[in-house]
Amino acid sequence: MVQMTINGKVVKAPDGEMLLTVIRRQGIDVPALCDHAAVEPCGSCRMCLVEITREDWNGWKKYVTSCLYPSENGLIVSTHTPELQEIRRNIMDLYLARCPGSELVQKMAEEYGLTRTSYKTIPEGDNCIMCYACTRICEVLGRNAISAVHRGHAKVISGPFDDPPPDCIGCLSCANICPTDVIEWHDQDGTRAIWGRTFDLISCRQCGKGIITRDFAEYLKEKRQIPADYFEICDDCKRVELARKMGGLVDLAKEVAS
Amino acid sequence: MTYRYTVNPSRCTGCRTCELACAFTHTQEQKPGRSRIYPIAYGPDRFVPVTCLQCDDASCVKSCLFDALKRNETTGAIELDKDRCVNCRACVAACPFGCALVDDVHDQVVKCDLCGGSPACARFCPTKALEYKRIA
Ligand code: SF4
Ligand code: SF4
Ligand code: SF4
Ligand code: FES
Repeated sequence: MVQMTINGKVVKAPDGEMLLTVIRRQGIDVPALCDHAAVEPCGSCRMCLVEITREDWNGWKKYVTSCLYPSENGLIVSTHTPELQEIRRNIMDLYLARCPGSELVQKMAEEYGLTRTSYKTIPEGDNCIMCYACTRICEVLGRNAISAVHRGHAKVISGPFDDPPPDCIGCLSCANICPTDVIEWHDQDGTRAIWGRTFDLISCRQCGKGIITRDFAEYLKEKRQIPADYFEICDDCKRVELARKMGGLVDLAKEVAS
Repeated sequence: MTYRYTVNPSRCTGCRTCELACAFTHTQEQKPGRSRIYPIAYGPDRFVPVTCLQCDDASCVKSCLFDALKRNETTGAIELDKDRCVNCRACVAACPFGCALVDDVHDQVVKCDLCGGSPACARFCPTKALEYKRIA
């Protein structure tokens, strides 16, 4: 355990735990766009900046991304100084220029009194904030199907060479984790479309409802040894089946007893 | 102290009190969540309250590629860590009993967590078809 001061309060935390986690546990709301518990932090959105100093720094201080800064003894952390709020306001101003269509960006910008950007809006902006949550989650699940392609302004998240990603299994983890909801997908007629590819959905053997993509099921079967037939029936129908099976046993037990 | 959750279907009258109790216990943003337990009829006036069996070698836990499902060693329940879950629904597809399910209201995968050690369904079941008993 280490001891630190956060906004004037003495706080204990496990050595090395990221500051953002510690700050949040204190009930302090530090904004963050690229942070997610299922992926490693990457420090890309910059909204979680905090000010740190120490007794022996003689008044010297610096700004660090709290999602990437490990706790250490004697740190003095401030989370909402006027300077920090001004930096966050500027970052939101820039995001507003890049992602004018994102509801989340609009909502967060509004918290800093911004309803429109003071910069020039990117006309072909696509609401992606380049936080890499999608590529990081795809890496965690072991597919690495997508990454950033091209450079500078043209940089986008896509499959290799900006083509549909051959390693994608259509699990939607990327689309669901994306904070600004820019990854398009849709399910239709037993198929799922995402990243320019179309996947077969397993439809429930009993009611026809779409379950998960066949490629995702195959992957889970191979990686986690889950029997393939588990994936063939939807959750609703499986509950009914369980009731029927258990009910049969209950009736049998009664018969035997009487 | 060790407790065990038990289901005795022959006592179930299908009154669905457990379903209500569950939905209201799992309330978020003032909206009751989807129930994690369902009394399902398998014949005339015969019901089985279907809920998560907290399996030993649980398929939901195995299927989650993000470690969002973990056993609470105190209660024995497999709990879903909402912060880690990305709603991929692998667990929903993998549970052989359909007891990892989707809460449509909150667009979130949910499952029984034994209410952190005091299951509301068992507390409210009028016929003791559901019980949470101390076994040691
Ligand atoms: S849908 Fe494809 S790209 Fe997205 S996380 Fe799943 S495998 Fe990766
Ligand atoms: S597509 Fe979404 S998750 Fe991926 S980098 Fe862009 S904003 Fe982040
Ligand atoms: S839906 Fe959530 S809990 Fe279920 S497998 Fe996916 S990430 Fe894990
Ligand atoms: S949450 Fe720390 S930089 Fe985005």
